[in-house]
Amino acid sequence: MNFILLLAPPLLAAALALAVRPYRMFVGWINALLSLVPLGAALRFAAHAIAGGEAPTFGPGEMLRVDSLSALLLLCISAVASLTLLLSPGLGGESVYSARQLRRYHYSINLFIAAMLLAVSANNVGILWIGVEATTIFSAFIVPLTLTQVSVEASWKYILISSVGIALAFTGTVLGYFDFVALSGRSENALNWPVLLESAPRLHPEVMQLAFIFILIGYGTKAGIAPMHTWKPDAYGEAPAPLGALMSSALFAVAMYAIARWKVVADAALQSRFTDTLLMALGLLSLIIAAFSIVLTNNYKRMLAYSSIEHTGLICLGLALGPLGAFAAMLHLVNHTAAKAGMFLLAGHVERQYGSPLIDNVRGLLKAMPWTGALFAATLLMLIGLPPGGIFISEFALFRAGFALEHPWLMAAALALLTIVFVSFISHLNKMLYGEPKNGVAAGDVRHWQIAPLFLCLAVLVTLGLTQPAPLTTLLNQIVTIIAR
Amino acid sequence: MNDTLFSQLSTLGASLVLLFGIALLWRRSLHSYVVAFQWQSAVLALLAAVIGYFGNDHELYIVAVVLFGLKVLIIPRYLDRLQARIGIEREVTPYVNVASSLIIAGLLVLFAYAVTRPVVSVSTLPTRGGLPLAVGLIFVGLFVIITRKKALTQVVGFLVLENGIALLAVLGTYGIPLIVELGVFLDVLMGFLVMQVFVYQIKTTFDSIDVDRLNQLRG
Repeated sequence: MNFILLLAPPLLAAALALAVRPYRMFVGWINALLSLVPLGAALRFAAHAIAGGEAPTFGPGEMLRVDSLSALLLLCISAVASLTLLLSPGLGGESVYSARQLRRYHYSINLFIAAMLLAVSANNVGILWIGVEATTIFSAFIVPLTLTQVSVEASWKYILISSVGIALAFTGTVLGYFDFVALSGRSENALNWPVLLESAPRLHPEVMQLAFIFILIGYGTKAGIAPMHTWKPDAYGEAPAPLGALMSSALFAVAMYAIARWKVVADAALQSRFTDTLLMALGLLSLIIAAFSIVLTNNYKRMLAYSSIEHTGLICLGLALGPLGAFAAMLHLVNHTAAKAGMFLLAGHVERQYGSPLIDNVRGLLKAMPWTGALFAATLLMLIGLPPGGIFISEFALFRAGFALEHPWLMAAALALLTIVFVSFISHLNKMLYGEPKNGVAAGDVRHWQIAPLFLCLAVLVTLGLTQPAPLTTLLNQIVTIIAR
Repeated sequence: MNDTLFSQLSTLGASLVLLFGIALLWRRSLHSYVVAFQWQSAVLALLAAVIGYFGNDHELYIVAVVLFGLKVLIIPRYLDRLQARIGIEREVTPYVNVASSLIIAGLLVLFAYAVTRPVVSVSTLPTRGGLPLAVGLIFVGLFVIITRKKALTQVVGFLVLENGIALLAVLGTYGIPLIVELGVFLDVLMGFLVMQVFVYQIKTTFDSIDVDRLNQLRG
C-alpha cells in the first residue's frame, strides 16, 4: 500500500498535466498538493525502518524493497520534489513561459520525480538502472524549456553524455550478473540486491573489479564525478531553476545511491580496498576541478553546479573512509540536499529579477530583493560549511573519519581545496550582495509564498548544525551497517 | 558436437555484429550509417534466436522479436525520416580520418580482449568466445560518438553502443531476466525518441547538425 502511495501520485500528476491542454494554473497547484502524498509515504517508510522493522517488499519477484538507505533517499527526493513543485513556474499566474511549455514542464518533471522514486525503491539492480536511465530522458526534455542555442547545446551534451554513461553502468550490471549466472545458474531474482550481496563472497574478484569500474564510470557520470562531470555546469546553468534544484540535490543523490549499493556488493566480492582507492582518487579529482572552476566562473548558476561537483567529491571520499566516513557521507548528503535545493530555487528568483545569470550583472541584491538576498547569503554561507550549518558538522565528521583512518595527506589536500572554494564563494557573494542595482532592475521582492518555503531549507540546515535528532541518528547508523564494513 | 556448432555460430554472429559496427568508420553518408545499423541489429536478433534455441531458453525468442521490431524496423525508419526532414548532411570530415579510425578500432578490439580476459577465463559457456567482441563493439560505439561531428551520427554511434551491450548480455548470460530486458528496450526507444527530437532542435536553432558549433557554454 505504502508503495502505491509513493509511486502513484507523481504518475497521476503527470497524467493530469498531460490531459489538461492547454496548461491551467490549477494543474500546478494540484501537482504540488499531490507531491505531499509520496512525502508522507516516505516518512512512513522511514518510521518503519527506524522502529527496526523488516524491509518491506512489493511486486512480482520482490521488485521493490525499502530499507533504511532507500528510506533516507526517498525522504530527500520527495521533500525536494514538494518544494520544487510548489515553486514551479505557472503557479503564480504570470510566467515567462507559454502554456505549451508549462504543460510540457509539468508532465515531464512529475515523470522525472517518479523515475527517481522508483530508482531508489528498486530491489532489482536492473530496475534501479531503468529508473536512472528514465530520469535522463524525462529531465532532458525540460532543460531547454525555451529553445535557444545555448539551452539546446546544454541539453544535447546532457543527454548524450548521460546516456552513454548510463549505458556503461548497464554494461557493469550485466557483467555483475554474468558472474552470478556463471556461479549459480539463472534465476528470476538474481538481480535482487540482497541475493546478489549474499552470493557476492563467491563471485570472481577479477570480474567484479571490471564490473565495478564500469558501474563507477556509468553512475559516476550521472552523479557528476570528475572527469565525467562536463555536462553538469551546462545543464544546471540552462535548466529552469526548479529542475536545477531537483537535479543538483535529488538526482545526484540517486546516482550516488546506485554507486553505494554496488560498492557493497563489490566490497564483499573483492575483500580488498579496491573500491575505496578508486573513490578516493575520483573524489579528490572532483574537488580539484571544482575548486578551480569556482574561482574562474562568472555565472552564479554554474558556480552552484561546480559546488555540486565539490560535494560529490566529498561524498565519494566519505564512502571510501569506512564506517565513520559512511556516516559522515550520508549526513552530508542530507545537508547538501537541503542546501542545494534552496540555493537553486533562490538563484532562480534572482535570475528572474535581474534577467541574467552572470555575477557581474547582479549588483545590490540586498537592496533590490531584501528577503531573497538575505536568504541567498545565509544559505550560501551554510553551503560552504560555515557554522552553525549542518554542512559544517558533516564536513567536520568527514575529516575526523579521514584522520582516524590515517589519510592525513588526502585530508589536508581536501581541506586546502575547501579553503579555496570558501574564499572564492565569499568573494563572488560580496560582488552580488552590495552596490547599486543597475538601472532597469525592478526593486521589490518575489511574493511571500514564493520565498517563505525556502526558509525551511535554512531551518533544516541550522537544526542539523545545532543538534542531531535521535531518529535521524538511528537511521544513519542503520545505513552505516548496510553500506560500510 | 552440438556445443561446438553452437560456439562457432555464436562467435561468428558476434564477429558479424562487430563488423557492422566498424563499417560505420569508413562510410560517409548518414544513410549508409543507418543501413549498417539495421544489418547489425538484424544479425543480433538472429543471434539471440540462435542462442535461445541452443541454450534452451525460450525467453530469448521474445527478446529476438522485440529487438527485430525495434531496431530493424522502427528506429531505422525514424532515422531515415529525420534525415529527410533535415536534409542530406554528410559526415565529410570526422575528427579522425578513416585510415586512423580503422587502426584505432583494431586497437580497441585488442584492448577489449585484454580487458575481458578474466571474464572469458571464468566462463564455461559455449558462447564465451564472443564476449571480447561485444566489449569491443561497446568501445567502437564510444569511439564513433566521440569522433563524429554530426549529431545524427552520434545517435547512431549510441545505438551501436547499445547493441554492444545487448550482445554482451545475450552472450554472457543468455539474456538478463525478461522484465529487465523489456524495461531496457523501452528505455532505448524513449531515449532514442528524445534524442531525435533534439537533433531536430539542433538543426532548427543552429541550421546544421554539426556539433562543432555547440561551443558557446564556457566557464
